[in-house]
Amino acid sequence: MSTWRMAGLNYVNYSNIAAKTLRKTLKSEFREDALRRDQTFIKIFFWMNGNQLGLGEKLKTDKEKT
Amino acid sequence: MLGRFAPGVCTQVTMVVNQQQNRNMATLKAISIRLKSVKNIQKITQSMKMVSAAKYTRAERDLKAARPYGEGASQFYEKAEVSAPEDEPKQLYIAITSDRGLCGAVHTGVSKVIRNRLSEPDADNIRVICVGDKSRGILQRLYGKHIITVANEIGRLPPTFLDAAKLANAVMNSGYDFGSGKIIYNKFRSVVSYSQADLPVFSKKAIESAPKLAVYDSLDSDVLQSYMEFSLASMLFYALKEGACSEQSSRMTAMDNASKNAGEMIDKLTLTFNRTRQAVITRELIEIISGAAALN
Repeated sequence: MSTWRMAGLNYVNYSNIAAKTLRKTLKSEFREDALRRDQTFIKIFFWMNGNQLGLGEKLKTDKEKT
Repeated sequence: MLGRFAPGVCTQVTMVVNQQQNRNMATLKAISIRLKSVKNIQKITQSMKMVSAAKYTRAERDLKAARPYGEGASQFYEKAEVSAPEDEPKQLYIAITSDRGLCGAVHTGVSKVIRNRLSEPDADNIRVICVGDKSRGILQRLYGKHIITVANEIGRLPPTFLDAAKLANAVMNSGYDFGSGKIIYNKFRSVVSYSQADLPVFSKKAIESAPKLAVYDSLDSDVLQSYMEFSLASMLFYALKEGACSEQSSRMTAMDNASKNAGEMIDKLTLTFNRTRQAVITRELIEIISGAAALN
């Protein structure tokens, strides 16, 4: 098992961190364009039974329920 | 007495004339107000069309770059012949829409696919993730119980891979252990056409039990897990890009049609405006002439 997975990251997080680092090392003329791809505004809410849960709350997995 | 009476009659007459004139003036004025507002609306729709045309060209360019992400990921599922596990009936549907309207039937199309699926008898095992407020708005009332995640703030800016990564994390962390799933999105065909399409999503168990997984070399569970996570993110990215592109193109045509319709309305309103004005003038002339004739 790789170290990053042991640290609780999944591959998507891991590669995003790598990408972020790579973007920072770019030459200044390319960096601006690349940094524009490095932002996200999307907001995610978890729902249950037709109602929105608070930020950070989420569905319990089957394992947690029992 | 007569001298006292006369001014009263005079004011009455002028009042009646004023009223009549007012009525005509009012319709004329009403038409001109309406004409002005329609002209304003046309200006707005025209500029919205320009904006979405600019956004569309960018979205199309981005889409070309994003296509390999989606195709690569779905090719893997095809080549390995992954199929939905029969012992795991739980399914996940991801609706890719956005927050913004005024773009034709882009959002309703996606929502309709999911609604049709949810109205089938075995829908209890289906959960839905709504990406974009529009699909949430459509599905919330009837199928609110099926929604497990909603994502918004989509469509203001072109989607980035980071957005897709966040979404993929939400799918993985939603706590819903699905066996298989589908990403429903609008596939962009050309400026004037798009259609609903889907991309498959599978659980790790389903991939591991795929019959032709052996065509891929040196796979262990860890690699598979990583690839699954990445392919989910990249498929979502691709679907978001396709959705954004079809949305902009559809908004462009919608706004074009709106401007055209506004133009038609303006033509008709100008015609009635001119006719009414003519009628008012003619009536006034008749009044003057007949008044003059009566004097003779």
